[in-house]
Amino acid sequence: MSDQKTPAPTAPVTGPGSPQDVPPVPGSLPIDPATRPEPIRDELLAPDPVAIDTAAAELKDGLNRCPKCGATEIRPKPGTDLLVCLYCRNEWDGARVEEAFGFGEGLDQLRGTVIASGARDIAADAASLMTFKCTACGAEVTVNTENAMTARCHWCRHVFGVNEQIANGAVPDAVLPFHIKKDDAVARIRQFVDKRRLFALKAFKEQFTPENVVGVYLPYMIVDGNASADVAGKGEIKTREYTRGTGNDKKTYYDADIYQVDRHVDFTVDDLPLESSTERGNLDTRVNTNNIINTILPFDTKNAVKWNASYLMGFTSEKRNQDVEHLRPRLEDQLLSIARAQVESSVRRYDRGVRWEQERLDVHGTRWVSMYLPVWLYSYHQPGRNGGLLHYIAVNGRTGETMGSVPVQQWKLLMAALTVGTVLEGIALWIVAASS
Amino acid sequence: MSDDSGLWLLALGPAGATALYWALYRYYRNTDKSHAFERETAVEAQPVTGSDGKVDEIKGTRASRISGENGGAYRMRVQRTPTDDG
Ligand SMILES: [Zn+2]
Ligand SMILES: [Zn+2]
Repeated sequence: MSDQKTPAPTAPVTGPGSPQDVPPVPGSLPIDPATRPEPIRDELLAPDPVAIDTAAAELKDGLNRCPKCGATEIRPKPGTDLLVCLYCRNEWDGARVEEAFGFGEGLDQLRGTVIASGARDIAADAASLMTFKCTACGAEVTVNTENAMTARCHWCRHVFGVNEQIANGAVPDAVLPFHIKKDDAVARIRQFVDKRRLFALKAFKEQFTPENVVGVYLPYMIVDGNASADVAGKGEIKTREYTRGTGNDKKTYYDADIYQVDRHVDFTVDDLPLESSTERGNLDTRVNTNNIINTILPFDTKNAVKWNASYLMGFTSEKRNQDVEHLRPRLEDQLLSIARAQVESSVRRYDRGVRWEQERLDVHGTRWVSMYLPVWLYSYHQPGRNGGLLHYIAVNGRTGETMGSVPVQQWKLLMAALTVGTVLEGIALWIVAASS
Repeated sequence: MSDDSGLWLLALGPAGATALYWALYRYYRNTDKSHAFERETAVEAQPVTGSDGKVDEIKGTRASRISGENGGAYRMRVQRTPTDDG
């Protein structure tokens, strides 16, 4: 290299393509791979290296076989983390991802963005329908990953599950099996609604059938983070309190000292759950009631087991459509909120309160794991403008925590409020009249 | 009748009606609920550090609290200062 005559062009110091430029979205390519020669194209299109590969090689053909007899007729055992073979009754459980991949460890050492294989970006062109060739009879078995992860061969009755993660990002790293059984969920929903009947919409009460509750696996990203935050603002301490004037003109006045307050905190978070479907992540209560499903968080995600589609037999599922980069703003927002909660106790001396004016977040490292979490959902569609509103009553499939939205009979509630208001007004008028 | 003869009592009816309406509405619809991740996430924090310096005084204000108080409003974002390490 010593006889090199023309030096290689150097990167610009400022402007496009320099470190001063806004960095591109990770995963985006400035050139179209399709127009490049094959070796370059192969390299560009090769999958990004994954820090933690959670794919189970033994399940790649879609068949989950009983380790004892080899049958594929496998179901989750209700209320447990076990799988049971319907032929020989053999029971076994999946490996907890926490130990299998070391997810609980070294949070304060986290650097950069670590993505488990099931949390990788979703292939935009991947179809929802996945086809398997049955090894027993040669038939083709199709699974629709929009709402199911398992299907049965019509000819030989083998059960297939979508276990291959590279397919389309539909397959998560881990699944947390249902523990709350359907009867239990029905009872909790019934109890929730029984306490809210007086002003409930008449049609809702008439059609209320909690037995129609559905067990759904909802997609989440479970995030660990290592971050630092700074907040700055003003705090006030009361120095004097006194009154001026007499009788009805008596007024209270305050003197106070104003302080500039700065705080810094380094912290880690363990297993923060973020909805990874756009619809579920939208918590705008004017247009939906997804905040109900959000409220039943958190789950005991430490007990999640390695992905195995057999855990989904008998349940439906929703597909993830958000990648890590989509969710990063929400993660940062939540990390800032956590930091603000952490510093609150350090500003107690400001008895007139504090007003934070600036905040700053440094995310040193994050780890993302894609997980299916178990939720019992009872839904009721209330007709109305703009397609009405879908109300949910949700039961956490692990803890049983229940929350719901019961549609209100508007006129009944207004009447009750006006009646009480009228009574109060009558009392007020009587007092005013009596004292004048 | 002086100006403080209790005429404020007349607001009792509308205020009571509104308060009852919203309390019941929230009880049924739970629009104010969400996951309390600030409390329910496992957070390990180093001791908080920082500085406090007196910058000014107020005399004779009638406000009993600082204006724009947001010490407990964790989710209300304020101006975000950029990070330098990207
Ligand atoms: Zn078996
Ligand atoms: Zn077959």
